[in-house]
Amino acid sequence: MLSYRPGSTFAHRLDPRSKLLVQFGLAIAAVAHPTLPWLVGTTAFALGTLAAARLSPLAVLRSYRVVLAVLALAPVVAGVALGPPWFRVDPALRSALHVGRILPVLLVSAAYLTSTPVRDTRAAVQRLIPGKPGQILGIGMALVVRLFPLVLADVREVRDAIHARGGEARPLRDRVRLLAVRSLERTLDRSDRLSAALRARCFAWNPTLPPLAFERRDYPVLAVGIALSVSPLVPV
Amino acid sequence: MATEQSVDLVDDETVGLFTKAVLLAALTAALAQISIPLPGPLVPFSLQPFGMFFAGLLLGPLWGGVALLLYLLVGIAGAPVFSNGNAGIGYVIAGQGSGGFLVGFLVGAVVAGAIAHRSVAPKPVAALSAPVQVVALTAAVVVVYAIGIPWMWFVTGLPLTRAAAVMAPYIPLDLLKLGIAVAVVQGGYLNGR
Repeated sequence: MLSYRPGSTFAHRLDPRSKLLVQFGLAIAAVAHPTLPWLVGTTAFALGTLAAARLSPLAVLRSYRVVLAVLALAPVVAGVALGPPWFRVDPALRSALHVGRILPVLLVSAAYLTSTPVRDTRAAVQRLIPGKPGQILGIGMALVVRLFPLVLADVREVRDAIHARGGEARPLRDRVRLLAVRSLERTLDRSDRLSAALRARCFAWNPTLPPLAFERRDYPVLAVGIALSVSPLVPV
Repeated sequence: MATEQSVDLVDDETVGLFTKAVLLAALTAALAQISIPLPGPLVPFSLQPFGMFFAGLLLGPLWGGVALLLYLLVGIAGAPVFSNGNAGIGYVIAGQGSGGFLVGFLVGAVVAGAIAHRSVAPKPVAALSAPVQVVALTAAVVVVYAIGIPWMWFVTGLPLTRAAAVMAPYIPLDLLKLGIAVAVVQGGYLNGR
C-alpha cells in the first residue's frame, strides 16, 4: 500500500498546499479533454511528479493493481453486445480512453501520498479553511488518525469473539447486527471518554495560550520555587 | 499595550457531537476494512454503509456530514482508511470503478440526518420513529446510487444503463443493511446516545 515515506526529494520539500493544488488541478485537467494527445500530456506530467518524488512508475502501478484491474474491466463491459457482433469496438475504445484519464490522477496521488506526512495535510486543511470549521476539521483529522487503529482493533476483536462463539453458523443478518451493535457500543464509549478528556483539558476554539511575562513581583516567588526544588540537595 | 484574550471554550454539547463525529469517522474507516464473505459468486458483504447510516441517525445533517468529511479528508491525506487499506485522492475519484460512492456516503449522511432530525441539532435517536428512520436511510441509499452511478459513467465511460446494471446486485445488500441499522436502533441499543 502507498503511504508516506520520509525523504528529502523535491516533492518532500514542497508545501503541502501547493501539492494539494497540483493534485486537484491535475484531476480537473485530466478529465477535461478525453482525447489521446491530452491523455499522453497529462500522463507525462504525472510521470514527472513521480520523478520528483523518486518513485518507480512500475512500483506505483503494482500498488494500484487491484484498482487498475477493475478499471480495465470497464472497456470489456462497455464493448459487450447482447447480439451479433457480440463485441463492439467503438464503445470499448471510448471507455478505454475514459479509464485512461484516471491513470495520471492515480500517479500524482501516489506522489503526494508518499511525499506528504498526514500531519502536513492536516495543517494545510486547518490553514486553508478559515475559522472554526478549519479548526474542527484539522483537530478532527488528527484524532481520527490517532483513533482509527484502536477502533479497527475493537471491530476485529468483536468479529473474532463472534467467530469464537460459533457465530459463522448464524444467519448473516444476526452476525452483522451483532457486529454493528457491539462495535458501535465500543465506539460510542470511546467517544464519551474522549469527550470527557477534551473537556478536562479545556478544549477551546482559541487554544493559543495568552502571552506570559514575568513581573517584578514574580522574581522572589521564582527564587522560592528554585530554592524549594534544590532543597533536597542541602544536607540537614 | 498588552492585549488580553479570554479562552473561548467549546461548549459541552459541541464537544460531545465533535467526538462522536470523530469516532464515527474512525468506525467508518474500520468497517471499510471488514467484509463478510458470501457463498458462491456473490460480492463480499461490506459493512461500510453503516458508518453513513449511524452518522446520519446519531448526529444529524451537520455533524453526520462532518463525520464522513473527516473520513474522506483523512483518506485523502494518506491514512489507509478506504477499502483494502487504500488512500489518496486518486482512490476517491477512481475507487475500484466506484469512487463516487465515497462522496455519496458523505452526501447520504447529510440527507439521512436532515430527514431524520429535520433540524441541524440532532434529537435523541430513541425519539426517531421507525418509519422516519426507514425513509431517512432509504433516501441516503438513493443518494449514494444517484451520485455513484453517474460518477461511474464519468470515470469509466460505461453507458448509464450499464453502470446501473453493474451496480444493481449491490442494491438488495444495501437494503438488508438498512433493515439491520433500523433494527439496531429499534432494539434500543442506542438509547441514551
